[in-house]
Amino acid sequence: MNKTIVIVGGGPAGLEAAAALGSSPHHVLILEKEHNTGGKLKNWHHLFPNFADASEILKSLEKSLPLNNSEIKYDCDVFKMEQMDGNLLVSLKSGEKIKADAVLLATGFDLFDAYKKEEYGHGIYKNVITSSELEGMFVNNSFPDQLKDGLPKKIAMVHCVGSRDKKAGNMHCSKLCCITGVKQAIELRKYLSKSSVYNFYMDLRMYGQHFEELYQEAQEDYGVNFIRGRVSEIAEISDGKLQVKAEDTLSGRPMKMIFDLVVLLIGMTPATSAASIAQSLALPKSGSGFLAPVHQHISANETCIPGLFLAGTCREPLSLQESITDARAAALKIIEWLKLKDNH
Amino acid sequence: MEQEGKKRIWSEYQKEIADDHYFYVRSCIRQTFFPGSETTFLKILRDDLSRDVFEDARHTTCTGIGYHTDIVPFETIMTIAARHFALMTEAGYVNFVPSCVTSFGIYTEILDTWKHFPEMEAKARDYLWTATRREFKIPDNLSHTSDIIYRFRNELAELSGHRLVNKNDGKPLKVVEHIGCHYAKMFPKCGVGGAEFPAVLSGMVEAWGGEVIDYPERRHCCGFGFRQYLIKANRGYSLSNSKKKFESMQPYQPDFIVANCPGCAMFLDRWQYTIAEMEGITYDKSGKGIPVLTYEELAGLIMGYDPWVMGMQMHQISVEPLLDKIGIVYNKKDKYLGSKGQYIGVPQPPHFLLQ
Amino acid sequence: MGRLYERLCEDLRCLEGLKSCMNCGVCTAICPSAEFYRYDPRKICDTVQRADDESIEQLLKSDTIWYCGECMSCKTRCPRGNTPGLLIMALRKLSQEMGYFTDSEKGRQQFAIRRVIGDSILTTGYCMRPILVNPANHPEQGPVWEWVYNNLPEVMDKVGANYLKDGPGALRRIAPEVLSEINQIFQVTGGQDFFQLIEEFSKDKADEMCLDAGELGGDNAYFSEVYTKNSGNHH
Ligand SMILES: Cc1cc2nc3c(=O)[nH]c(=O)nc-3n(C[C@H](O)[C@H](O)[C@H](O)COP(=O)(O)OP(=O)(O)OC[C@H]3O[C@@H](n4cnc5c(N)ncnc54)[C@H](O)[C@@H]3O)c2cc1C
Ligand code: SF4
Ligand code: SF4
Ligand code: SF4
Repeated sequence: MNKTIVIVGGGPAGLEAAAALGSSPHHVLILEKEHNTGGKLKNWHHLFPNFADASEILKSLEKSLPLNNSEIKYDCDVFKMEQMDGNLLVSLKSGEKIKADAVLLATGFDLFDAYKKEEYGHGIYKNVITSSELEGMFVNNSFPDQLKDGLPKKIAMVHCVGSRDKKAGNMHCSKLCCITGVKQAIELRKYLSKSSVYNFYMDLRMYGQHFEELYQEAQEDYGVNFIRGRVSEIAEISDGKLQVKAEDTLSGRPMKMIFDLVVLLIGMTPATSAASIAQSLALPKSGSGFLAPVHQHISANETCIPGLFLAGTCREPLSLQESITDARAAALKIIEWLKLKDNH
Repeated sequence: MEQEGKKRIWSEYQKEIADDHYFYVRSCIRQTFFPGSETTFLKILRDDLSRDVFEDARHTTCTGIGYHTDIVPFETIMTIAARHFALMTEAGYVNFVPSCVTSFGIYTEILDTWKHFPEMEAKARDYLWTATRREFKIPDNLSHTSDIIYRFRNELAELSGHRLVNKNDGKPLKVVEHIGCHYAKMFPKCGVGGAEFPAVLSGMVEAWGGEVIDYPERRHCCGFGFRQYLIKANRGYSLSNSKKKFESMQPYQPDFIVANCPGCAMFLDRWQYTIAEMEGITYDKSGKGIPVLTYEELAGLIMGYDPWVMGMQMHQISVEPLLDKIGIVYNKKDKYLGSKGQYIGVPQPPHFLLQ
Repeated sequence: MGRLYERLCEDLRCLEGLKSCMNCGVCTAICPSAEFYRYDPRKICDTVQRADDESIEQLLKSDTIWYCGECMSCKTRCPRGNTPGLLIMALRKLSQEMGYFTDSEKGRQQFAIRRVIGDSILTTGYCMRPILVNPANHPEQGPVWEWVYNNLPEVMDKVGANYLKDGPGALRRIAPEVLSEINQIFQVTGGQDFFQLIEEFSKDKADEMCLDAGELGGDNAYFSEVYTKNSGNHH
């Protein structure tokens, strides 16, 4: 019997799950709160670790959406769900309600709001920007004029902004900002050839395929400097330049350096847009606030609510590749679940 | 600098400040170096703002300097604090207002410790009872005296005759605000505006027409360091930290510095003199140094108080250039006279620093 | 787990000051002491969390723990919620309880602080009074302060203080019955014993150095030694 599967969120994970469900007989409905699909991916320029064009990847994700059984509804902000006779009733902000046999939450993540790290002055000092804003500058070629005057520039990349930080309320490691920092350092060195780039890090979490190699490339081919010390404070000096304080922990001395631009590598935090859904179902959260599966090791895509599944960064920080693999795994679980449901 | 960003941060730190009926406790450092500031604070609150401020002659040091030079154990200082709370309770007050930033930090730390370790509060009650037969209630409101002036900054602006504007060119005076480390660095929620962009002094300066300077070492400690100043052999620490601040603020050419901590105000005043004498350097263009004010003095000035009754002759850096800029009329001859107008000698002029 | 480490853990300020340190250096980066002295609060945290008594003992006997200015700037920023400055307070307390403080030049200074600030608290009810800031010991205070110092009653009267008189007001005389309450509190809470401990260890050290420490005040050779000695080996 044909069933309805609702996917909440049309980011990479949601799109890929829909594609994977394409071979099933079920009706797949993607509910996306924005006017378009793609999630964060649509804001990125080139992707680590191989500088693939993000827009190309997004296009291919969108192209693989099956036309026969799937449908996307835009501007549909899901805010609540309830269990009803073995099904789930999905409520939209508009008031509309949709009955689903299974629901996949692919609500993604939020970018850490950098203003909360008050000591870095984001939103106060104009040359303090976030990694996400830097992607936007690459996408739109909208670099501020003072960076493009051809003169040498000094740029700092600040790791762990809003991650691994009790004060910011996030104890977890966002996992991808290290490699993003390495990637963006290389891009800045390419784009502003006279620039020098300094990455301030605590640990370089180069866990993925070709990540460590990219780190080495950054050092050897692009002369990116790596300083082991977390940034403590940023202050503006008179001409808009920025004074950065950190300890070089390998030499054990405090240091003060002046930069033209500081890029904050902001972390991934639990999506606020999923909070009310989780609340309505009393869905447990992990320590860091991401949605928690029933079992971290063996059923990472299933929840304690029958028929409710998780995919992508709504459950933990993941790279694009991992989000996509995760979405396929979730799709498989959904198909299994619907089969079981049929047999009952 | 984007003001909107700062406002967003400030909105997160709206601390509650009591409106009236204050139990006032003095500061050893302020009494020693700026006794007139305490007089001014009381006058402003009682006479200009018609507020009730009570002082019990039986209050003492909080022993904060002993605590932060590590000769006074925590058990002792918390019991001294408890005694002050007891005096407040006995007098029928609930709003506790210390004049010292070190004390303010001590009280916030003790109240926080009691919250997390209730057995320590019980111990304090026990010690206090054994030692003095006194009992206490925890204050409803703990505000530093600078919080109180901050609270009334707009009322004072309305009552005042002067604005922080250079009368020669009509431009706002450029002001460095220095916040004592123990005001909000330990407990950002206890300070107006938090620890990174405190608003307690900048709020006053702006309400009174001045312009606040944000210089890179704004948040750096003045360098008191307790033992680092009190022991002669360590004073280089103190000097070098203040120096770092002066060098950092110099390019902005501040008209004056205002501090909410009595220690900071004294150090930022005296070290300018020491550096001038040792190295022949001043951080202003005139060679006279940058005047350093307490916020009570600043409030008093805009309210038209006599600078010499407020004790501004006790500063090493002359305040006259600032008074002239604001357009305050004062009597030059009275500066160093005694209370009855008698001559009591005058200070030697410094060697390098101009008067 | 060793003996010293356990004793440290009994101090609330150690519990509050050091939960776990990830060696990020945020505290050191803004520490006013790290900029001036050869001092690194991060390393102090790391040494203590290793819980090795031998290294802790070394620390307690060193100049290092006496470099901190207790400004608590490190509390605002630590991403793990530690306060190295509070940990330092616990270390200093233990160093004094064990008598280790007299092993270092900076540690020995506790004697002078106890004599000046400690006595002032117990005998006058103030940590700090104008009379303690003697221009001879405080040339940095400048000629205006010297003038104030030489004319204390007149200047204080002019600015509305109640200098050394009864009743409320700035610099008032604190009544004997109040001082006896303060002394009682010091008795009951161990403050008095702690002063005594500093005295005894210091006197032993003074003997060892063949210097007289007197019975009271700063008019003795050991006081002058600890108050002014700077080997210059601290940077
Ligand atoms: C700065 C930065 C750079 C990155 N660069 C790379 C890179 O180069 N390479 C790489 O592999 N990965 C990169 N990533 C990671 C990548 O962005 C994520 O892996 C990917 O976006 C995760 O996809 P997702 O679908 O789980 O979530 P998202 O991309 O967040 O998509 C979630 C979607 O759900 C929608 N949604 C949310 N809530 C609701 C709701 N209640 N109702 C309806 N719709 C909802 C959202 O509008 C959004 O469209 C980067 C991450 C960051 C932070
Ligand atoms: S990935 Fe790197 S930058 Fe991001 S939180 Fe982890 S360690 Fe910090
Ligand atoms: S409290 Fe001590 S360790 Fe902490 S910043 Fe101040 S001087 Fe440094
Ligand atoms: S800031 Fe905190 S975690 Fe970082 S080194 Fe200092 S004590 Fe350790």
